[in-house]
Amino acid sequence: MTEEEIINAEDLDYNFRYEISEKVGAKSLLKCIQCGVCSSGCTVTEYVDLQPHRVVASCLLGLKDRVLSSNAIWTCSLCHRCTERCPKGVDYSFILALLRNLAVKEGNCPEEYRGTIQTIYDNGYVVPYTGGLATNIDRRRDRFGLPKIVPPDLKEIDIIMNETGIGNLIKKASENKESDK
Amino acid sequence: MEYALYLGCTIPLKLPHFEYAFREISNYLGLTFKEMEGASCCPDPVATQSVSIDTWLTLAARNLCLGEKLGLDILTICSGCFETLKTAKVLLSEDKAAFDRVNTVLKKIGYEYKGTSNVYHFAELFSQEEYLEKIKKILMNPLDDLNVAVHYGCHLIRPSKILQFDHPERPETIDKIIKALGAKTVAFAGKLECCGFCARLQEEIGFKLVEDKMTELKELEEEVDVMVGVCPACVGQYDRKQRLLSRKTGKELDIPVLYVPELMAIAFGVEKDKLGLTNRSVKPNKLLEKLNI
Repeated sequence: MTEEEIINAEDLDYNFRYEISEKVGAKSLLKCIQCGVCSSGCTVTEYVDLQPHRVVASCLLGLKDRVLSSNAIWTCSLCHRCTERCPKGVDYSFILALLRNLAVKEGNCPEEYRGTIQTIYDNGYVVPYTGGLATNIDRRRDRFGLPKIVPPDLKEIDIIMNETGIGNLIKKASENKESDK
Repeated sequence: MEYALYLGCTIPLKLPHFEYAFREISNYLGLTFKEMEGASCCPDPVATQSVSIDTWLTLAARNLCLGEKLGLDILTICSGCFETLKTAKVLLSEDKAAFDRVNTVLKKIGYEYKGTSNVYHFAELFSQEEYLEKIKKILMNPLDDLNVAVHYGCHLIRPSKILQFDHPERPETIDKIIKALGAKTVAFAGKLECCGFCARLQEEIGFKLVEDKMTELKELEEEVDVMVGVCPACVGQYDRKQRLLSRKTGKELDIPVLYVPELMAIAFGVEKDKLGLTNRSVKPNKLLEKLNI
């Protein structure tokens, strides 16, 4: 038996369900019947503090803080088996991505994920492609007779990231130098 | 057929031997490409989507625009790229508000996303009857007597309502390709299990998943000669973690893991020394001996 815990109704955020379900692709949240198929097929089910069906139940109940601070939303490997098997068409893996977005907006972005965004911002790729690293990569490609890499215009990546609201997650080159000192 | 070739970043920058094998077999199969110069990371369906769905869709749409400008459908060679680009295409066709939002941002960099290019993974193409017939005709070294374990990986087949690729629980596209090469594909319980690469914050999950699958393969009655996959993340995960697990646990986990185009290239008679087959943790020496090449 798990320990009983009493939560006051006034502490629940009833609008949380609609914050999620207003997004196309996440409307399906409201259809959950708590059958648990998602959790029984979940790749990481034994590693999470809240199993998928309980994350959904918590969203529906309005336990916003608990959901957004759970390890469950970050442990998922996005294998999409939950979404695939749900008999009611609940798109759990998309809802989970939304929950991650909300957690990031509240300032909780795991450094591994922020680092990936930074690498894309700096290189246009998830693999660093500057200076000596780029020379080595080009040399290896030459050995296989492969065409030259033509990287994206980083100004365009910068504009897209800033315009879509994640500019605050990125350290500009000048700041990087500062933190290296 | 001509396609806009979308390489992504992991393969061209870290695994050029995969790209080489892919280009070689495409040549044999009569495919031609226009390069998508200036394409960025797809962007990756885990970190970028998790941080901001809008950023993810907009960067993906920018890449799709490059295919549209070439007037061609887009061919991907990595499951992550396939998932991102195909999902963006499907979501943007279903969600007018997102379509408008994406285009408002793209306008600022002089792009317009229309939705005119389709997105394919090569596994979808090569498993079509027409290509299977071609493959059988090209074969120089039929892979008779070879037992192959096929790993589909998550981001190739699920969610099926979006990727519209293969049966999500009983996929057969890659098996068809491998069988066309003359090899046998083995049946095993963990065939559709995730490789765990994308459970990035807890590495023990990946170790457990790799150990479970590889142990099952080692215990099968028929000896598995090679595992194949179509995603650089999955292939790298099984390759590297097998070695690490062998060292840690003393278990002999030593099944070589190849990218499907590499096995195709071997069967097509591409010179083995050009393929970079030893560029991995588990060397495929036994496999090459068995094939006598």
